[in-house]
Amino acid sequence: MELVNSTKSIGKKKIIKGLTFTINRGEVFGFIGPNGAGKTTTIRMMVGLMNQTDGDIKISGKSIKSDFKGAIREVGAIVENPEMYPFMTGKQNLAHFARMIPGIDKERISEIVQLVGLEKVMNEKVGKYSLGMRQRLGIAQALLHKPSILILDEPTNGLDPAGIREIRQYIRNLATKENVAVIISSHLLSEIELMCDRIGIIKNGELIAIQNVNETTDQANLKQVELEITPIDKAAAILKEKHNLETIQTDSSLSLQCEKEKVPEIIQTLVAHNIAIYQVSVSKTTLEDKFFDLIGENTIG
Amino acid sequence: MGNLINLIYNELFKIYIRKSTWAMYIILAGLIIGGAVLTNSFDNTNERYAGDNWREVLEEENAAIEEEMGAVAGDGSYVNWEYEKNDFYLENDIQPSYTTWDYSFENTGLLSIVSLFTIIIGAGIVANEFRWGTIKQLLIRPISRSKILASKYIAVLIFALVTSVFLILFSWIIGALFFGVNGFDSSIVLEQNGEYLHVSAINEILSSLGYGFVNLIMMTTFAFMISTVFRNSSLAIGTAIFLMMAGNTIVAIFMEKEWAKYILFANTDLSQYANGKEPFIEGMSLGFSITMLIIYYAIFQFLSWFVFAKRDVAGQ
Repeated sequence: MELVNSTKSIGKKKIIKGLTFTINRGEVFGFIGPNGAGKTTTIRMMVGLMNQTDGDIKISGKSIKSDFKGAIREVGAIVENPEMYPFMTGKQNLAHFARMIPGIDKERISEIVQLVGLEKVMNEKVGKYSLGMRQRLGIAQALLHKPSILILDEPTNGLDPAGIREIRQYIRNLATKENVAVIISSHLLSEIELMCDRIGIIKNGELIAIQNVNETTDQANLKQVELEITPIDKAAAILKEKHNLETIQTDSSLSLQCEKEKVPEIIQTLVAHNIAIYQVSVSKTTLEDKFFDLIGENTIG
Repeated sequence: MGNLINLIYNELFKIYIRKSTWAMYIILAGLIIGGAVLTNSFDNTNERYAGDNWREVLEEENAAIEEEMGAVAGDGSYVNWEYEKNDFYLENDIQPSYTTWDYSFENTGLLSIVSLFTIIIGAGIVANEFRWGTIKQLLIRPISRSKILASKYIAVLIFALVTSVFLILFSWIIGALFFGVNGFDSSIVLEQNGEYLHVSAINEILSSLGYGFVNLIMMTTFAFMISTVFRNSSLAIGTAIFLMMAGNTIVAIFMEKEWAKYILFANTDLSQYANGKEPFIEGMSLGFSITMLIIYYAIFQFLSWFVFAKRDVAGQ
């Protein structure tokens, strides 16, 4: 999937400002941003629910603008909530959507139902389903026609922890084994971190960063180190003198930033100067820090 | 094409699986049965004229009417329909009877109820998808929006057709149980343009339904348009039913205006041209009305299609 300068304006206001990025087969792409950043609008443009003011989106080389049917054939999606007909059973819902695309037989439906683990409730009305069950049914309908791109808007919303893990594994499987490109939007950063290969961060309709998930965690060399020690004043002075480190004092601890490799040295110096050490903790820079770094704390823009 | 048939099947499935649709059929069946019970208890045509002396019975009735009329006016300006009818039976030597054919024909009047139900279905079929949020699921399939809209419209027409057939068949069956069939002779006696005629009930039922369908289709298409443009089924049902009810009044109010004949409702009753009757407003003809209907129809359809095919589907 390829987005080229995708732009959406409503009135004079540009909501999406020229997004350009590519998503490859076999990867899970996380799409994050604060509320109102334009995630859902972008997804709506990807599936042709909204027209683009400018630019184009290509799916497997087919433009969603000029070859809608060809492009959308490759896509399975849940846009926002997994809405289904509440007065129909799960089975009837799936059969309904199956009839809209040629080449889906009964075996495929039961295969999908097994995959998402809904066999027991297939003959119950969807109105009685829990949110988690509906989410699974939504994923089932998105996968019916074996799409090469799966777009999921907040897929683990409403699932219990076991369900979340299952879906996570399932999405990873789809990407690696079936070579499907998966696009996931979410504002749950920890979830994105666990599931995705790459993330795109969007703010105010602009793509402000694309990063490999593993990079974000590794790349930050400076670690935040917390030392619970006494006496604090003396320790601070020693560190300043010996290692040329700036420290911040709090009630009972000292915090500083340094490379991971330096931590043992610091401890040795402190021990040599008879400082009592109760605890040393190194906090990892998480995606969350990165996220806030990039978009700033004031999220709704 | 197979594609479109699948889509229509889907739409009909969604219509008929809902309990509210079944409630419509139950209401219709209730009206038909209730009507039969009422007619059965108030009308005793079959008993009165059952014997071989039905001619004498008719003559006695007419004699009584003549006596009454003589007392009132007697100059012939006032027509007593009962008298004329009895006369017609005697002249043509037809034994008066009330069979299921008469009952079925009378029930073609219930087509307005069928119109009402069709408007409700037509008003909901697009708006509900927006309300349920399922419109997104429908539109992200490899099917053009026009085709989805067409399948919905056709499904509404099929609903109207099925419901009308149900109305007539069920009326006939209930009528047969209450009033009998009278062999396979489907002819009935009814008044047209001031004279009584012995006509085929099947023809009359079909032409009555045919005229009724013009109005049904126009109002359903109107409701369908409102529902598609405003995504609100209540608004569509409300305006369509209001216009259906008030249509004739609207025409009557603007009767004197030159443009009155361009009002949709002046043209929906094509039976105004049947049997050489004078049209509603001077200067109108069958060709004129059909042209007006086609223009209105095309506008309704175009607006529905244009809005539906171009619209951005955003949040609720």
